[in-house]
Order: sequence, then structure tokens, then C-alpha cells
Amino acid sequence: MSTTVDEHVRGLHLEHAVAAPEAYSETRTKRVARVALIIATCAIAVAYGSAFLPAGAPAWAPWLLALGIPGALGGIMVLGASRGRGGIGRLAWPFAFVIITLAAGFSVALALPASESASSDLWLGLPLRAAVILYGVGLLPIVVLPVAYALTFDTQTLTAADVERVRQLGNARKELAQ
Amino acid sequence: MMLIQAALPRMAQPAVIGVGIAYFAVIVAISVWAARRTRTASDFFVAGHGIGLVALTVASVSTSVSGFAFIGGPGLIYATGFAAMFIVLPASVTNVMGAWVLAKRMRLLGEARGLMTVPDAIGARYRSPAAQGLSGVAILVGIIGYMATNALAMGVVINAIFGVGIGWGIWLGMSVTLAYSVAGGILAGIYNDVFQGTLMAVASVLVFLFVLDAGGGLGEISRTILASDPKFLGPWGKLTPLAALSFFFVFAMGSLGQPQGVHKYYMLKDPMQLKWYPLLKTLGLVLVLLLYFGVGVSVKAFVLNGRLAPLAAPDQATPALLLNVTPLVLAALVFSGIAAATMSAVNSFINIGAAVVTHDLPIAFGRRVGNELAWGRAATVVIAIIAAVIAQHSGAMVAFLGIFGWGLFASTLVPALAVGLNWEGATRTGALASIATGLVVTLALETSAYFKVFTFPAGVTASAVALVLSLLVFFAVSRLTRSAAVGAIDPDVRLIMEM
Repeated sequence: MSTTVDEHVRGLHLEHAVAAPEAYSETRTKRVARVALIIATCAIAVAYGSAFLPAGAPAWAPWLLALGIPGALGGIMVLGASRGRGGIGRLAWPFAFVIITLAAGFSVALALPASESASSDLWLGLPLRAAVILYGVGLLPIVVLPVAYALTFDTQTLTAADVERVRQLGNARKELAQ
Repeated sequence: MMLIQAALPRMAQPAVIGVGIAYFAVIVAISVWAARRTRTASDFFVAGHGIGLVALTVASVSTSVSGFAFIGGPGLIYATGFAAMFIVLPASVTNVMGAWVLAKRMRLLGEARGLMTVPDAIGARYRSPAAQGLSGVAILVGIIGYMATNALAMGVVINAIFGVGIGWGIWLGMSVTLAYSVAGGILAGIYNDVFQGTLMAVASVLVFLFVLDAGGGLGEISRTILASDPKFLGPWGKLTPLAALSFFFVFAMGSLGQPQGVHKYYMLKDPMQLKWYPLLKTLGLVLVLLLYFGVGVSVKAFVLNGRLAPLAAPDQATPALLLNVTPLVLAALVFSGIAAATMSAVNSFINIGAAVVTHDLPIAFGRRVGNELAWGRAATVVIAIIAAVIAQHSGAMVAFLGIFGWGLFASTLVPALAVGLNWEGATRTGALASIATGLVVTLALETSAYFKVFTFPAGVTASAVALVLSLLVFFAVSRLTRSAAVGAIDPDVRLIMEM
């Protein structure tokens, strides 16, 4: 079955899709993204593991999450956005912005002293650390990521030609099944 | 996820009942319309791959939030402070992350192979009926918990509106949901979700604006809270930094494994419409979640300045505000919105569960069900009845069942599906190992914690541990079996993975 489908794929000029499997090698972008995801996951695992110590989670444990979460999310986003051998192109900028924004937001909240009081200055209605989290971590990525997705969709994510090729492949499979 | 467990105050007044009846009338009308258009299993499970962008977006927002956003969430803010925001803040990245990681590839798999379920995608990716079946089992286990919890929440809300008792509320709500689920399948679900999602967004925005105005603005609300309980508005609220950040991790990464959201990608009529899907869905979620934040902080301020009496339980935050501060019509609208949220979630889970029973599990055993539409309808009835019975009779166990749903989906599906569809080095053995790890670890840890065999240290949850472990097992086993990686991917799947 698979061989026959392979032949159909070749007939549809989709050779790159069946490039000899043994020749497959991970692109640099995907490898970096995957390694980042693994390292970040390990960091998060260490943070959780440290909470089981007799004295409880040490002071550095939340920092592993503060840096591990942006690393893990950034890693899986890059993995998903990578296209063939072309990497992520212009998306590198919005991805970098969001990873830095999340890491910086969490870090600022961890690093600043807990000084919330009735006389605290308010930033858009909230004390500084909560404002950094709500507006920085919670709202800034909304302004950047979905817009970047839409603006790069036609070049980086999906083209009408892609959809047509997949439809042809689907039709080929249906014909085979019949 | 925590939902509504305690009885809410009775609101059975003419205006509330009138709005409630009008709400159910619209549901019935949409369902009759959808039932006439459901003719095949594809119509029943994935709306014939024919839903437009706006409808799919609103429906997806509606099923994402459930009753938690209206009742449990504001209550959690009231109890734990700003930390509870870490459950919803990931929405700033999850929708677009899901679009990059899953939406395109799943929609194209639907185009190429006519796939209908999340386990379908796992089966196609690894050319493995076993992986499809095991992920189906994981989904079914998670669904039982979610369904029972949402059924109970539905009963609680309907009792608050109509005063019929929680037991009758469960069966009344389940009957209405079941009627439109059986007749119109996911098509009825989607268009009811559109109505329900719109209702939720309108209710949320109105309540948010009202409470800000009533509280003198966010600054005044913050000043009131800071004067008496400054820790409440610290970034981690009453929890530890580890616990708050852990919320963010589990709800961000875990979103990639929630079948009620992920399987909607199959339904979009034109894959090119994905372009605007993350932006629209994110904006929709922001609107619906305004109530979550607005009610949570304003009720805290109102209690501190004496405008409201201290709450008997955190879940009373929204009802107390609606009964004592907002106009009755707005309260009626919100309660209909809450009923809408729970019914929307129940419908979505019924449909997914029926697809597992009639489609994925038979495939795992090398069989195909003859008439998937008829069997799908039958499975829908059975699953709904089981969930309603569990909701009515299992007492505190329902809360336990609801808690592990999200974590179970996350730990069993994120590695094999979200990572696997984007990494050709993932192997069938790695996928099977990670799904099994997620299933066993989540069940074992949640059960042990529930029966107090051991207590997790502050900031650590079973969901988080299971998710991390299943990811690490996935990478490790795939690495050990990597010689089998690329050759095991079908050409059409490989093409889609490279796009």
C-alpha cells in the first residue's frame, strides 16, 4: 500500500515529500527547537523535583520555571512553525520577542521585592508586579503573535498550492482505496 | 479543572426564568435546524468539514471556557488572589501556538485522509492502530470525569435558575444537551456554541463594565484591597511562585492536548481561513475572561469595604455579586451564560467520546463499525446517561474526576500529537510509551493524592508531574528507537509534516 502511494506521490510531482527516508536529517532550526524544548522540560522537572526536598522548594526553583516555561513554549512553537528546510524566516523576531517578554515578565515579578501596600504606585490600576504579569505576560503577546501569524501566513504557513497538493494526494488515496 | 460543586443561591424569579426559557427555546430551534442537515458520520462528528471561520472561532471559545470561567474562576481569585490569573494568562499564547503546532497539519490530514478524531491523527502519524486506540482510551477516561463534573455544574445552575433541585437540574440539562447532540451531532453543537459563546461574551463584557463602574475603577478596587490584604494583589497572590508558575505551564502546554479544542481544526471549511483563526479566538477569549478577572477582584474589594457580606464559599463570588450588586436582567443573562457554558462543554465531550467508542476503538481492534452515524448516536446517549448518573451519585468523587481531566489529556496527547506531528524523529514506540506514561502516572498520582496516600509539596500537582514525565519519556524512547523513525511515516503524512 505504502509503495503504491509513494508512486502516486511521485506522479503528483511531490518528490520532496518522499525523499528517501534514510536520507532524512533534522534541520538546524528543528534541532535547536527540539533541544530547547528538552532542556526546558528538564529544567521544569528539576524545579518540581526540588520541591520534594525535606526543606521544600529552594529559592532557585521558581527561576527554573520562569526560564523553562518560555523555553518550552518557544521551542514547541518554533518546531511547529518550521517549514520543510526553510526554517522559520521572519517569524524569528516575534518568537524572540515573546520568549523574552515571558522570561522578563516572570523574572521581574520574582526579582522585585514584595512591597505591595496601600501606598503603592499603581500601573493601569494594579501594583507594579501584578501589572507586569497581567499586561506584559498576559496582553503583550496578544498584540504580537496572532498578528505575526496572520501577516506571515501566506508565505510561512500555508499556500493555496499546498492545499491543492494535499487534495490531489487525498484523491489519489481515495482512488487507490476504490 | 475546578467547576461548580456547591449549590448556588436560588434565583428563581420571573425575569430570570423568562430569560432562561428564552435561552432554551433558541437552543431547541438551532437543534431542529441542525438535525435536518446531519446525514453522515462526517456530518455528525466533524460537521462535514464545513464550518466557517467566525462560527468555528466563537464555538471554540465557547467550549474552551466551560462554567469555570464564570463561577469557579472568580471564586478561585477571591480565595487565592492574583495567582488564579495564571490559569487564564496562557491564553495570550496558546491559541496561536495551537495554530502553528497543530491547526494546519490536522486540517490538512483531514483534507488528505478525511480524518475525524484526535486519535485518528495519532494513528495516521505513527501508522499505528494501537497508538490510536490507547489515545482513545485516555480520552475516554478523561471525558468521563469532565462530563460528570460539567453535568453536576449544569444541574447546579439550572436549579439556581428554575428552582427544580440539583438532581432534576442534572437530568433536565442533560436531556436538552442530549437531544441536540443526538439529533444534530457536532453541527448542532457548533451552532449552539455560537449562540452560547456570543451570550457568554456579551454577559462577560457587561458584568466587567458594571463592576468596574460600581467599584470606582480598577485603581480604586486595587486601593481597597491593598489597604487590607496587599498579598492578594502580589503577582503570586496567596500561593507560592512555584505554584502560580506551575499553573501557567500546565495550562499553556496542556492546551495542545485538549481534544475539545484540537478536534475543531478538522471542521474548518477552508484551510486558508486558518490565517485569522488565532487572532479572532484570542480576542474572543479575552472578552469572555473579563468576567473572570473583574468579578474575582471586585467581589474581594466589596467584601473588604463592607458592601458585600463575607462569602460562605469562594464559588459564591459570582452569585453574590449578581444577586446584590448587578441589575436582575444582567444576572439572568449571566446565569443563562453559565448554563450555556456547561452545556456547550458537555455537548463537545459527548461527541468526542462517541467518536472514540464507535470509531477509534474499533479501528484499534482492526474492525470498522458498519453505520457510524447510527452507532454514534447510540453511543452519545449511553455516554450522557453514564455521566449524569455519576454526577448524581458519586458525591465528592465528582470533583476528583473533574480535576484530572485536563491533566490527563495534556500528559497523554501533547507529546504524541503536538510534538509528534512536528518532529519526524518521533517513533511509534515513543508515542505509545508517552501515552501510557501519562495515563498511568496521572491516574496513580491523582488517586493517591485523593485518598491522601501522600500529599504533594506546595506548587507541585499530579498534572504537572505527569506532563513533564510523559514528555521526557517520549523523547527518551524515541531516541532509543530512532532507527525506526522516518521509515514509519506514510508519504502523505510526511508531506504534511514538512509543509
